[in-house]
Amino acid sequence: MTAATGTAPTGPTFRARFGRAVPYLLLAPGLLWLVIFYVIPAVQMFTYSISEGTLETGFSMTLSADAYATAIDRFGRQFLNSILYGGLATILTLAIGFPVAYTIAFRGGRYKNLILFLVIAPFFTSFLIRTISWKILLGDEGPLLAPLRHGLGLIDANIPLLGHAGLIDGRFSILNTAVAQVAGLTYNFLPFMILPLYVALEKIDVRLIEAAEDLYANRAAAFRRVTLPMALPGVFAGSLLTFIPAMGDYINAELLGNPSTRMIGNVIQNRLLVQNDYPVGSALSFMLMAAILVAVAVYARVLGTEQLTG
Amino acid sequence: MADAPKPFSVDLTRRRFLQGSAAAGFAAFLAACTGTKTGSSAGPSTPAESGAAPSASSPASVEPSVAPTPKVVTGPLKFANWPAYIDLAGKAGDEGVYAPGSSPSLEEFKKQFKVDVDYEEKIGDNSAFVETIKPALVGGLATGWDLMVLTDWMASKIVANNWAEKIDQTNVPNCSANLRDALKNSSWDPNQDYHYPWQSGMTGVGFNAKTLKANNIPEPTKIADLWNIPADKVTFLSEARDTFGLVLLKLGVNADGATVTPEQLQQASDAIQPLVDGGLRFTGNEYLQDFGQKKVWAAFVWSGDLASSGGPDDKFIFPEEGTLIWTDNMLIPKGAANKYTAELMMNYVYDPKVAAQLEAYIYYVSPVKGADAELKKLDASTEGNPLLFPPADVIAKQHNFQALSDANEKILNDLYSKLSGT
Repeated sequence: MTAATGTAPTGPTFRARFGRAVPYLLLAPGLLWLVIFYVIPAVQMFTYSISEGTLETGFSMTLSADAYATAIDRFGRQFLNSILYGGLATILTLAIGFPVAYTIAFRGGRYKNLILFLVIAPFFTSFLIRTISWKILLGDEGPLLAPLRHGLGLIDANIPLLGHAGLIDGRFSILNTAVAQVAGLTYNFLPFMILPLYVALEKIDVRLIEAAEDLYANRAAAFRRVTLPMALPGVFAGSLLTFIPAMGDYINAELLGNPSTRMIGNVIQNRLLVQNDYPVGSALSFMLMAAILVAVAVYARVLGTEQLTG
Repeated sequence: MADAPKPFSVDLTRRRFLQGSAAAGFAAFLAACTGTKTGSSAGPSTPAESGAAPSASSPASVEPSVAPTPKVVTGPLKFANWPAYIDLAGKAGDEGVYAPGSSPSLEEFKKQFKVDVDYEEKIGDNSAFVETIKPALVGGLATGWDLMVLTDWMASKIVANNWAEKIDQTNVPNCSANLRDALKNSSWDPNQDYHYPWQSGMTGVGFNAKTLKANNIPEPTKIADLWNIPADKVTFLSEARDTFGLVLLKLGVNADGATVTPEQLQQASDAIQPLVDGGLRFTGNEYLQDFGQKKVWAAFVWSGDLASSGGPDDKFIFPEEGTLIWTDNMLIPKGAANKYTAELMMNYVYDPKVAAQLEAYIYYVSPVKGADAELKKLDASTEGNPLLFPPADVIAKQHNFQALSDANEKILNDLYSKLSGT
């Protein structure tokens, strides 16, 4: 305290103390942000999940797990839908995104920045508008199906191969099916997969691949033994960035799906904003968070964390 | 929580609502539909004439009376309404979607009172809209809206919770003079302290004749016929009262909100479930877009919408089993910034000429006395239009499914939420 009473805060004591405080000071804004906008709401939400009541009557904490029981009992299907559709979208973004990222990183040349810009370009439009435009694209009379239906007569012709499966007939449509929903999720989250993949692939030293080939690895083996393992951190980051928001997404299910394809995000939205059922909505949110944490932990375990942190 | 707003389940209000609403509401609607004219639109009447003496049993009686509104026109008036509920001209009229400047009656209002109107087709579903403003209402904050239009059952809740501003009757002489008698004395706001009806209408069946023909499906005449159309080409309403009410009629049950039983609601749900499994969707007023994009072949719809905003092949029928009736009401949400302007708007649309102008476009049943006569002057072809002037056989099969007990409403919401997957 002696330094503080002096006219100027000098001297080794203050400097040492200040020096030690610097990391914390730098962290403070972020920590404060997390406490106010994450920790407090999370605690609040947990409190709601073990309470009874509504927004109008107020909540009373009952410490009962009824909300969790209801959540599991009634919305298991929506949980499964979330995992299934979120997982499918993640796999599809990986399948589509990897070749794109690979091409940009190794074959992009002077067009690299342009292609990267094009990957991000859809983000200049709002998420909602992009999803709504899929409604038009996939509509029964939209640019995809209308030519098939009227121009080629494919859909009405009941072609043998597809016709007998009952998929292609007069009322064939894509919109408001699980297919449209997964397509929408894949499209919306694709850049989240491509960018981390690109960063990981870009870092790879091409000489390592050359060295592998010098050591008699063919191109496939070099890819499998060198490129792929080094791209794993990108795969990990990309799939987390895709899977987590895709699993909780409700816009795609709402706009492109039907009542049978609703995901857990729709239930949470409906419980909190329409049914005024905060306890069950909060319980579902908490379970979703837990499920994602477990999934991430397992995933990290399988891929190996050392590799992921570089 | 002593100062918390009254919950929806306030006993007194609910009981009163149930006692009166079924009978009074039904009778009111019948008269409104038949176009009963009990008096020409005389000059502005004072509130005293319509018997607006404060009643001790009024839900509002516990509230202090409002301070007189300063009679200064402020704006822009934020007006939340349902799609296909205002007259449109030009390109917006062709598309059936409001765009600023496209409504002749609103433009006239703007000119007359030199105030801007921010009209938005924001309400597709009562609950979904009210949930967006509920946090503000519960917290005692302004909702951002000055005027909103809600169906009887929801309007009664808004009034019971004291979430509406009391209307200064001296500002709305047209309303007190021209409100059809049949719509007066509602159980939940008998003196029109908080609401004036916007339109009445019916819930029935709509379909696209061309698509059905192309797929060799006969045009539906009954609600039950919708079960013979591929379920993924059918939509029901996310307004659960409308959907369950019509399905009850299909099952041969009297769809009366006051007498319906939990078992009957369950039966209705069981009847809908196979359709949901087949891809049935529930929509709010956005079914209009689905019809526009030919995504839906047949649906539960509200009576005037397809006539005003649908395509030439989109038809509305009164199904053989019957229809549901309701009234949508103008309310000023608590804390509205432009209350006086909102009252001016209420008064403006109760001018029979303006009301007729609205009717000629939107095809619903007007609550305004004298609108019929003006409408015939404006457009002679509207005479005998069953949407505007429902014929006797349609009226005989109208049902009011608005007034549900709290317990039944909970069951209804729960069944609907299960069907809709959320």
